[in-house]
Amino acid sequence: MSAAADVSDTRPVADVPLKGQFGWRFALSLGAAAAGVLLLAYAVAALLIRGTYLWGTNIPFVWGFDLINYVWWIGIANAASLFAVILVLRRHGLRTAVNRFAEAAALAAVAAAALYPILHLGRPWLFYWVLPYPATYQVWPQFRSTLVWDFWGIMSHVVVTSLFWYTGLIPDLATMRDRAAARGKGLVARFYGVFALGWRGSVQHWARHQAAYRLVAALVLPMLVSAQTIVALEFATTLVPDWHQARLPLHVVITGIPSGLGVVLALAALLRSGLGLSRWIDEADMDLLAKLMAAASLGCGYLYAEELLTATLEDPATRDATLARLFGPYGLLHWGGAALIVLLPQLLWLPVLRHSAPAAVAIGLGAAAGVWLDRFALVAGGLLRDHLPRIGPLYAPSIPEWTLLLGTVGLFALLMLLFARLIPVVSMFETRHEESEAEVP
Amino acid sequence: MSDLPPAGVIAEFESAEAMVAALRAAKAAGWREMDAYAPYPVPEAAELLGAHGAPVGWIAIGMGLVGAVLAYATQWWLSVHDYPINVGGRPLHALPAFLPATTIVAILWASAGTLLALLVMNRLPRLNHPVFAVPGFGRASEDRFFLCLFAADPRFEAAEATRFLQGLKPRHVTEVPG
Repeated sequence: MSAAADVSDTRPVADVPLKGQFGWRFALSLGAAAAGVLLLAYAVAALLIRGTYLWGTNIPFVWGFDLINYVWWIGIANAASLFAVILVLRRHGLRTAVNRFAEAAALAAVAAAALYPILHLGRPWLFYWVLPYPATYQVWPQFRSTLVWDFWGIMSHVVVTSLFWYTGLIPDLATMRDRAAARGKGLVARFYGVFALGWRGSVQHWARHQAAYRLVAALVLPMLVSAQTIVALEFATTLVPDWHQARLPLHVVITGIPSGLGVVLALAALLRSGLGLSRWIDEADMDLLAKLMAAASLGCGYLYAEELLTATLEDPATRDATLARLFGPYGLLHWGGAALIVLLPQLLWLPVLRHSAPAAVAIGLGAAAGVWLDRFALVAGGLLRDHLPRIGPLYAPSIPEWTLLLGTVGLFALLMLLFARLIPVVSMFETRHEESEAEVP
Repeated sequence: MSDLPPAGVIAEFESAEAMVAALRAAKAAGWREMDAYAPYPVPEAAELLGAHGAPVGWIAIGMGLVGAVLAYATQWWLSVHDYPINVGGRPLHALPAFLPATTIVAILWASAGTLLALLVMNRLPRLNHPVFAVPGFGRASEDRFFLCLFAADPRFEAAEATRFLQGLKPRHVTEVPG
C-alpha cells in the first residue's frame, strides 16, 4: 500500500529540525516568546527585591494569582500527560501523531507551574527548607503539612514526566543523529548522538526499551492523579468552608482535562499546518482528538451540575460559601469559565470547525482560558464566606501579578518553540512500528 | 582500514521478516555471538536472542518498594522520635498524612529505577560501537535491518561467516572493522 509506505518513511519528520531556516514567522514568534521570558525575569526580580506586597493578595485572600496560575498550569500538564500515557498504554493509533508534543507540552507546563509555589513562599530563596535535610538547628519539615506533600508532588511530577518523555525520545534522537550524519552535518550529528546515548537499534535493546517505556507510562498514571489530588488537597484540608469538601480533588482533576486537551488540540492544529506534517497528524487524528475534547467537556458539565445540586444539600455554612462563590462578586468568572469549558468545545462536534486550524486553536485555547477563570473563581471566590466577617476589599490582581502570568506564558511558548525547532515533533519509531504492524495481513 | 582482524560480519536486509528468518537460520547453524538491529521493536527477534523486558519491571518494583519504605520511615522517624511536635493533640504517627508523600516518592524511585535498569541492562550510554563503523549502518534507525555475527564467537572465521550470511539473501554483507 503506497499510502502506508508514505507514512512509514519518517525522513521528512526528521528533516524538519535539520532545516537551516525556519522562516520569519518562527523568528518572530521566538522573539515574542523570548521577550515574555525577559518579562518573567523582570517580574521575578521585582518580587525578590521588593516582596509579595507587590501583589493584590491580603487577608482573607492570601492566595491570589500564584495559586490560580499554579493550579491552572498543573492542570494543563496533567491532562496532556494523562492523554499521552493512555494512548501509549492502549497502543492507540493516535499515539504516533500527538504523543510526543503532548508530552512536551506537559513538560513545559510543569516548568511554568513549578515556579509559582516557590515564588509565593515570601522568601523564595529558602524553598529548600521543605526538604528534609540535616539543618544546623536540627529542625525537620512538618510532614503532616500539605506544603511538604506539594514539594514531593511537584518534584516527582517534573522528574517522572521528563523521564517518560526522554525514554520515548532516545530512539528518535538516534534517527536524528543518523539523518544529520547522512546529510553531512557532523557537529549536529554529534549533538544528537550524545543525547541518543549510543542507541544502535539492537532488537534486544528494543525489547527492554518497550518494557521500560510502557512501565514509566503506567507509573505516570497514578503520579498524575496523586499530584493533582495533592494540589486540590491543599485547598480541601483547610478549614475554609467552600474548599473543605471531598469533591474538590475530583473537580480539579476532571475540569483540568479540557485545558490540557485544548492546548494539545491547538498545538496539533498549529504544528500540522506550520511544519507541513499533515501526513503524520492527519484528519482522522484531529477528529479523534476533537471528539475526545468535546466528550471530556460534557463530563465537566455533569460535574458542574453535581456541584450545584450538592451545594444545596450541604450544611448551611458550606452551602452559603458555595453559593457565594457561584453567585457572588466572582460568579461571572465561574459561569463564564463553565460556559467556555462545557459549551464552547461542543462546537467541535461539527466537522467543519474541527478541521479548520484557526477554529481548533480558538476553541482549544478558549477552553484553557475557561479553566483559568474557573480556578480564579475557586481561589478568590472560595474565600468570600470565611469564619470571620470580611472587612477588606475584594481580591484583584495587580500589574506585577499579570506580568508574572504573561512571563510564564512566554516561558511555555519559548520551550514549545525550541522543542519544535530541535526535536522531531512526531514519534518516528512509533510511526514505523505502527505501520509495520498494519502491513501484516 | 586498519590491519586489525574484523570485529564481525554484518548483513543488511530490507524487511524485518528476512532479518528474523536469517536470525533463525544463524541460530540453527550454531552461531552464538550475534545481534540484530532494527528501526523499531521486533519482539520475535528479541525472543530468539533471549532478551526479555520483564527484568526491567522487577527492578522497577524493587526500587519502588525501597522508595516507599524510605519515604515512610523518614516521615515516621523524624515526626515521632527525632522531632515530635504536638499540633492540637493530633497523633504524631499519622498514617493518612504520611501516605501522599510515600506514594509519590515510591513512584519517583520506580520510574528512575526503570530508566536506570534500561540503561544498565542495555550497557548504555556507549557512544562508540564497532557496528557504527559499517558504511550505511545509519539506516538501521530508518528502514533497514541488520544481522551481525561477532568475532567473539568461538567458531568465528571471517570468510566462513561471510559465506554463511551471503546464503541468507541479504542486500549485501560487510565486514565490521575491528
